[in-house]
Amino acid sequence: MKPKVAFFDFAGCEGDELQIANLEEQLLDLLGQVDVVTFREVMKEKSDDYDIAFVEGSCTRLQDEERLKEIRKNAKYVVAIGSCAAIGGINSLKNYQDLDDVRRTVYGDKAKLFDTYAARPIDAVIPVDAYVYGCPMTREEFLHVVKSLLLGKKPDIPNYPVCVECKKNENVCAFERGQFCVGPVTRAGCNSCCVNEGTICWGCRGLVDNPNENSEKEVLIKNGLTVDDAINKFKLYFGWQERKR
Amino acid sequence: MRIIMKEDFEKFVSSLINDNSLNVIGVKSKGNKFAFGQLNSASELRLDYDVTLLPPKKYFFPQRETLVTYDVANGFFAKDPAHLKPTVIIGVHPYDIVALLHMDEIFRETKSDPYYFEKRKSSIIIGVNIQNMSKWCFAPQMGCATIDYGYDLMLTDLGNRYAINVGSQKGEALLDKYAKNVTDAFARDIQLVGQKKQEIINSSQQKFNFPTELIPELLSKTYEQSGFWEKHAETCLACGSCVLVCPTCYCFDVKEDPHLSLDSGERIRTWDGCLLEDFAKIASGENFRPTRPTRYRHRYFKKGRYLFDRFGFVSCVGCGRCSSNCLPDIANPVNLFNDMYAEVVSMGVEIDTPAQPDVSIKTEGDINYVPKLATIVKKTQMTKNETLFEIKLDDGSSLNHVPGQFVQVSVFGVGEAPISVSSSPTQKGTFQMCVRKIGSVTTGLHMLNVGDKIGIRGPFGHGFDTEFLKGKDLLFVAGGLGIAPLRSMFNYVLDKRADYGKVTLLYGCKEPREQLFGDEMVALEKREDVEFKPSVDWCPENELWTGNIGVITTLIPQVSFDPETTYAIVVGPPIMYKFVIADLKKRNVPDDHIIVSLERRMKCGVGKCGHCQINQIYVCKDGPVFNYAKIKGVPEAL
Repeated sequence: MKPKVAFFDFAGCEGDELQIANLEEQLLDLLGQVDVVTFREVMKEKSDDYDIAFVEGSCTRLQDEERLKEIRKNAKYVVAIGSCAAIGGINSLKNYQDLDDVRRTVYGDKAKLFDTYAARPIDAVIPVDAYVYGCPMTREEFLHVVKSLLLGKKPDIPNYPVCVECKKNENVCAFERGQFCVGPVTRAGCNSCCVNEGTICWGCRGLVDNPNENSEKEVLIKNGLTVDDAINKFKLYFGWQERKR
Repeated sequence: MRIIMKEDFEKFVSSLINDNSLNVIGVKSKGNKFAFGQLNSASELRLDYDVTLLPPKKYFFPQRETLVTYDVANGFFAKDPAHLKPTVIIGVHPYDIVALLHMDEIFRETKSDPYYFEKRKSSIIIGVNIQNMSKWCFAPQMGCATIDYGYDLMLTDLGNRYAINVGSQKGEALLDKYAKNVTDAFARDIQLVGQKKQEIINSSQQKFNFPTELIPELLSKTYEQSGFWEKHAETCLACGSCVLVCPTCYCFDVKEDPHLSLDSGERIRTWDGCLLEDFAKIASGENFRPTRPTRYRHRYFKKGRYLFDRFGFVSCVGCGRCSSNCLPDIANPVNLFNDMYAEVVSMGVEIDTPAQPDVSIKTEGDINYVPKLATIVKKTQMTKNETLFEIKLDDGSSLNHVPGQFVQVSVFGVGEAPISVSSSPTQKGTFQMCVRKIGSVTTGLHMLNVGDKIGIRGPFGHGFDTEFLKGKDLLFVAGGLGIAPLRSMFNYVLDKRADYGKVTLLYGCKEPREQLFGDEMVALEKREDVEFKPSVDWCPENELWTGNIGVITTLIPQVSFDPETTYAIVVGPPIMYKFVIADLKKRNVPDDHIIVSLERRMKCGVGKCGHCQINQIYVCKDGPVFNYAKIKGVPEAL
């Protein structure tokens, strides 16, 4: 019997689910291996009977915790997909601001009607079995994680920084191009896609397990970034992880 | 020496490019840097480059390469024999040629790597003497700025013409077929080339404060200076840039890439690096080189000492790529070695030029990356997480292992892992492995059933010396899963009982329910010709245990043995060795009477991938069984 899978979204842009909908010909191969029972972005049907739950988006309200716990109860495996679910993502930027200000900015005079708290990855609320990092996640890595789960093995997600992939891809280092990059502390696995295209690593996959953050900040500053800007570089995606460390 | 005018050289390159049977690579610009890449026209070629981002090794040892394909129905297969086009690589600097010669030695030692050499043999190297030296380059100081061999053709820019040194018949034939208006060089041009080479040697901006021949000895004097390494590696990002751009780095990882159908896929190898955090980490989570300073130190030692001892060369060619790619600027070998020299001088230690090691590199056939198909014929669960698997090779052959050796076990779609053989070679037809469910492969193995297929490579490594130990008294000391490899020797000795002296087995595990081979242990207690003492660290109240309670070392005072005639065979978790060996030494057991078996991360099994290296030793090839006397001075060993 094919495993039943379900997709859920919390605070996020649904860009990761879109990556799945965009799998094109591989989508059919994937559907040969699993039955999709819930996927709001692409189908009307839904069910609480599933083996693997893919969760996109970060948890930003107390009420969301109940829904997450319900998902955890129903699923054998919970997989966090995308930066928001896996590491808190850019939603965590609001954690540096006053939450009442945040609510007023977003909801104006209706602010009182909407609850909020510090944005967090879903593993701050429930145990998570696997992560697909990235903003958005890549289709290749999503398929790698699905295949790993189906084969009963731990997904092979790098614990080395993006520099490894940049070097293999023979990129001219972003710093050499006069840009400021957080690739040296960011978990690889994206095949250094942004630097390949001439821009920088923004850090969307989060920090490696043991980043040398001080050295990276020194490198940024030595190359001409102000201290504030160097700190901001770390806030964009690393907010939740930094706070935890 | 020949001469070709530049316009004729350009035509030569064009005619190479126009021949579709050749793959023509050359140095091209990339941003404000340079890289080797496919040449589409002769005008793209930039022989005036300083250094390329990556060395040309990527054409012989690519960033990602398929080793094996598999499908569940039919087994494992060698990669389709690539119909390799001869590759012409134009514009290789002398230091990169030296680096390829180093790689050749490394990839042919003991077992030759077929994938590397198939590409190496079908290539033609056209070198060029350096025209613009990178400011980081110290190739002259490493003796690698010019070279008289290792190329098919070597160019030197002489203004409106190139001088060509022909290094091989392949080079000669290439000129004959594709180049026009090649003339013999006059004495004046020969002299000019000599002059140019001298200018290159004098043009490095990097300066060593001591003769580079001292590097191996200098390293040996500073291994223990942990403060030195911590200071230099403090800002290390562990990003691996220094090793990934290195022309002599050859460590690799092996990964499974299953197709989405899940019943077929590929096994690939990718570049790895000893600076990366998980490089020496095994499935149980143990990391044998967990800190940045120890990994940083390992890189310099590997290049400057370990490869020197094994091959007779310091495996650094002075290209300066590591220096220029290191963001915190701590990778420049010139700076590091100058600091090291100052450190050693300040310690007041004499440094002698190291003796050239006695090197004889032998090749015994090719590495076989393709596993043999095998069948699980019996599966016996022994504890909650440990199962004994009995395996039969499908081709009907015997494993022919030596006790203490290991095999590389493949589970379809999951990958390959090293597992020691638990049965004695006296057991014919099948062999056994006692496996703990801990990583992906061992977990995958536990999910399989009798009749299911797996892959086996090996046996690998250096096992117990059964001949030498004949007539000796044997004291076996096993901790936990250490009984698994040890049993291959223990059962061998029992089957040849008359050949050996007194036999004692001390076997400790955490608690009674974790004891392995319970039935055999019961049988042992009844044997007169074996002294058997089991122990558990602790025993829950509701469980029956009549043996010793306490860690394994508490058993040692309980047995009597003559240290002169006794050899201790010790296998257990990493933490156990230190304590057991200390207690054996208290009982006057000489160092060379202690034999251990070590566990490390292993990918290739043949001393290439680099993961199992402990200082100068490869566990997979030189071990896993070691005489303690040989490794007691190896700091990373125990």
